[in-house]
Amino acid sequence: MRAARSKLLLLLPAAAVFVLFLVFPILIVLNESFHTFEPGRIGSVEGGPLTLANYAELFQPVYGQYFAQTYVLAICSSAVSIVFALPIAYCIARTEFAWMQKAAISAIVGLMFLSSLVRVYALELTFGSAGVLAPLMSIIDIDTNSRMYINFVILAGLLQYSIPMSILILIGAIKNLNPRLTEAAMSLGASALAAHLTVTIPLSMRGIVSAFLVSMTLGVSAFVIPLILGRGRILFISNLIYSRFSEVANYPSGAAISIVMMVLALLLILVMSRLATTLERA
Amino acid sequence: MLSTKERLNADVTFRTKALVSAKPMLSKRRIDTLLAIAVTAIVAVTALFLLFPVVVTVLMAFDGRDYIGPFPPTELSTQWFGRLFEDAYIWEGFKTSLLLAIATTAAAAGIGALAALAISWMSPRLRDVVTTMFLSPLVLPGVIIGFGLLMFFAAFHQLPAFLKLFAGHLIITLPFTIRMTLVGLAGISQTLREAALSLGANERQVFFTITLPLTKNGIAAGAIFAFATSMDDVTISLFLSDFQTYTLPLALTTLIKSNFDLTIAAAAVAMISLTLVLLIVLDRVLGLERAMGHGANRIR
Repeated sequence: MRAARSKLLLLLPAAAVFVLFLVFPILIVLNESFHTFEPGRIGSVEGGPLTLANYAELFQPVYGQYFAQTYVLAICSSAVSIVFALPIAYCIARTEFAWMQKAAISAIVGLMFLSSLVRVYALELTFGSAGVLAPLMSIIDIDTNSRMYINFVILAGLLQYSIPMSILILIGAIKNLNPRLTEAAMSLGASALAAHLTVTIPLSMRGIVSAFLVSMTLGVSAFVIPLILGRGRILFISNLIYSRFSEVANYPSGAAISIVMMVLALLLILVMSRLATTLERA
Repeated sequence: MLSTKERLNADVTFRTKALVSAKPMLSKRRIDTLLAIAVTAIVAVTALFLLFPVVVTVLMAFDGRDYIGPFPPTELSTQWFGRLFEDAYIWEGFKTSLLLAIATTAAAAGIGALAALAISWMSPRLRDVVTTMFLSPLVLPGVIIGFGLLMFFAAFHQLPAFLKLFAGHLIITLPFTIRMTLVGLAGISQTLREAALSLGANERQVFFTITLPLTKNGIAAGAIFAFATSMDDVTISLFLSDFQTYTLPLALTTLIKSNFDLTIAAAAVAMISLTLVLLIVLDRVLGLERAMGHGANRIR
């Protein structure tokens, strides 16, 4: 009994950090989101009446735009990264040269470990309005200041991380497949394309779903990418929350957006992991 | 990569030709050729897309011109590195970042290793629940953690920014150290423990002579993830810093927005070098594939 208790003591520091720096802060955000905002004050009024106004406010179309902006770009980046990552992951998983596989995986891990700021700066330097490709863009008549173009640059920013990560996840999924299944399909007369569409893709569905989920989670909570590449013209939900703190000091509103964003993020994980289990069973 | 596919195709054609007439095979072969071309194109385009910006940044950091001109640079020099080393603003951020990353890594590695040990002794069901709970900071949007901590610390007046940053970085690095230590622990065969126990060692001796040495690499890998995460974080640090205490990523974010020049490219080259060093160490202590299999979803 004493031994068991002393073993649980080892968990204490981590549990303390977790409760103090994660659970408490989130509860404070939750509490704040039900308070009224008084302009000119930092934070809400202590002991004031509780209100749902901060949430009701979010039904205005302006806010819908921010949420739509974030989710559309996140879904696009997840879908595009699956389409690009799947064939690449297949090639890497099935290559017969061990050194080639090792080199490819090292390069991909290297890209993922790269500081997000380096990645964002590299994109801005390459595709930005003051970047090295700007002269080329003006030749082929692309306006680097248009909303559409900024959207594309943000999408590129999301893809810089989600493609390598999806490749890594899918390599694992494809390695678990028996290569003989695809071979069997082909020897029975299926073309390589048909074999992959009917054998490889359905059997690696769990990997595809989890790659999609991770890309989505990353996309919807992206902060630095839209902060810099969006040039203040395109904001994600995260940036909106930050501006509630840095520009108008409307904490209750920022808190309400945070709670909605968190609930949506958790719902996404729940739905996607349910989906993965269902597909697994099917 | 493609040779496998081509050989397979040839193989299939060879095998099926005997059975079916050659005519429908042609269109099938055309489909397969198209697929092979499409796959090659996807690999090439993706490699270009992922690597080109990095190559541009590295080469532009050595640009001899005074302005951001067209790529590639016409003359090379190390002037931007010179400016980087003279930039007091970036240096100050770097010092804070390094100190913070070292403190965070040490604390997270210690606390994480203890927690992972306790978790590994739990029943499988409880283990899953507790692990999921401790890994949750990875999937929660960073803004929410930052915003929450900001309001939490507002209750304590005059807390130094460094301590706030430390707390913020601790909560986002702890998941990595816990997870990687668990990976290290999972690799230890139970028979080793039992053998030692049956040979007369007590629990304590088993821990110090078997468990700890074999978990060392997992803990080290977790520490590397923690260090990289701490050196990289912008989202949470932005809420917790002040005008005196700021990290390197924050300094660079401000510079990218206010003074977009190639000094930042030079700083990026320095950070890329640091990443390479960390990767080599990670490969040595745990192996890249094994480490990434479990740490892959580094959300931010």
